[in-house]
Amino acid sequence: MVAQSKQSNLAAIRGNVPKAESDQHAGFLARGIRQWWPYYAMMAPGIIFFVLFHYLPIWESKIAFEQLRIIPPNLWVGLKHFQLLFASPVFWQVLLNTLIISGMKMAFVFPVPIIVALMLNEVRSGSLRKFIQSAVYLPHFLSWVVIAGVFIAALSPSDGVVNDITGMFGAAPKSFMTDTGAIRWVLVYSEMWRSAGWDSLLYLAAIIAIDQALYDAAEMDGANRWQKIWHVTIPGIVPTIATLFILNAGIFLSADLNQVINFTNDVVRTQIDIVDTYVYRIGLQTGEYSLATAAGLFKAVLGMVLILMAHLFSKRLTGKGVW
Amino acid sequence: MAATQNTRTPLERIEYAIIISTLLLMVVVTVQPLLNLLAISLSDPAKLPGMSGMEILPRGLSFDVWSLLLNHPNVRAGMLNSIFITAAGTVLNIVFTALMAWGLSRPGLPGRRILFLLVLVTIVFDPGIIPDYFINKRLGLLDSYWSVILFKAVNAWYLIILIRFFEEIPQELLDAADLDGANPFQVFWFVVLPLAKPALATITLFYIVFHWNEFFRAMIYITDQNKWPLQVVLRQFVIGGDKLAIVGVDAANNHTGASQIDLRALKAGMIILTIVPILVIYPLILKFFTKGTMSGALKG
Repeated sequence: MVAQSKQSNLAAIRGNVPKAESDQHAGFLARGIRQWWPYYAMMAPGIIFFVLFHYLPIWESKIAFEQLRIIPPNLWVGLKHFQLLFASPVFWQVLLNTLIISGMKMAFVFPVPIIVALMLNEVRSGSLRKFIQSAVYLPHFLSWVVIAGVFIAALSPSDGVVNDITGMFGAAPKSFMTDTGAIRWVLVYSEMWRSAGWDSLLYLAAIIAIDQALYDAAEMDGANRWQKIWHVTIPGIVPTIATLFILNAGIFLSADLNQVINFTNDVVRTQIDIVDTYVYRIGLQTGEYSLATAAGLFKAVLGMVLILMAHLFSKRLTGKGVW
Repeated sequence: MAATQNTRTPLERIEYAIIISTLLLMVVVTVQPLLNLLAISLSDPAKLPGMSGMEILPRGLSFDVWSLLLNHPNVRAGMLNSIFITAAGTVLNIVFTALMAWGLSRPGLPGRRILFLLVLVTIVFDPGIIPDYFINKRLGLLDSYWSVILFKAVNAWYLIILIRFFEEIPQELLDAADLDGANPFQVFWFVVLPLAKPALATITLFYIVFHWNEFFRAMIYITDQNKWPLQVVLRQFVIGGDKLAIVGVDAANNHTGASQIDLRALKAGMIILTIVPILVIYPLILKFFTKGTMSGALKG
């Protein structure tokens, strides 16, 4: 008995169930349970967590189709809240804001870490490169509350560093945080400040993994720095670019709630009110739970379609998806 | 590339100089605003008016701001809350994630594929904040530390990273332990965990940073101000512009205590204080994260 259970342990750890043994007896299920229950016991806390905090919320989002009533059950109203949502000009405005902000970030932030990685790869002194890396990775680990605090100080019209510098060239001080024309650019720039350094690490890792022989061959063919970058380095990091592109597509409709909620104020709200801040406001602050959930669901479904499309697109293009 | 070093043309030298200066400019842009805030918080309050955002050295030296902040009841409570949430949250994270990853990494596990798929679904489909709020409400977690501690108790990405790591553990080691009579729990504890130390260390740091920086959940789920983590206290004071949060109503009315200290210096000190724990573990982060990201994380 001991020997047998030891054997099945071994099989479990190996991951292959000995076929002859399991066919011999009718107790296939019992044997499976005896073999695998320790693993399910170990996974139980995690599985319970996923059920409670990921799958129950998905079930709970049925309130988007219901009229909430103080005394249950709630009333099923079908697509009423979605119709209300699509008829609301505010919703289209926040959707447009989200797309604009995400689009700006995609155009102006996404390429930056690629360039940073290419530049870092050119640095010949190891200690200089380490110094630069340790500095530019740091903002990635700061919270948006902190970053917003830093930006409010740096962009202050009276004593912020930005206006101090533009002032030296004779420009009048400008209050960027309360300027409807500037605030989206503040979001773009602060995102760049936070992530351009750290994201370059992923590209740098891909660059380092490129076979040195390819560079040697290119050199033999008389390639200069730029030709080597164009013909060896860039093709080598295309899969990484594709992966990060997909991940960005997946959060295209998010535009970063944590960032916006710390950079927003009454003056600029109309410019940077995004779907998530809208959901938060009409849901948790105004109490229109069903309408807010409908907006959240709309975003979730569209986001899922986007990430799956980007995944398939990337797989076709580079033979590589995200998972 | 070393071979080309001797034969660099003037053009290549100029290119190199441009690259280095661009990167160094990036360093300055990254670090200068933080140094400026530190300098402001350490400056002599009398010399503070007119201090430019460009300066990175304190004008005079005074610890008034720091002693006030460190003795302030709201700030102290915030620090303790943050430390508690981060510690409890991270321990839970690691236990849940490692155990689940170990199970999911065993090739023969019945239901392995479907469980893995169900985890992936949670990455792709997020129904949003309102259903999450209702679940927390139903579980009675509102206004409790647990609403924040349990949030993302298992991060699907880190779970996948760990699964990939566990899959790489050499089979011979596990077989040997098994033949020595170890049960699956013992194998996990005595063989798998020690092998996974570098991966676990990396993920622990990820989780610590995540918990320390989390503010949104705490902001919406915890109404009792005594339970607020530091980020929410900082947010109320610096972003919300609620100076009474730190200065206090009495002090503001009587022009005593904190109200005598420049608000700008208080805010600067508060921001830096919130960063300090990150700075403390940052060298470790550089050591582990960079390695971890280089190996497994990408093909997540």
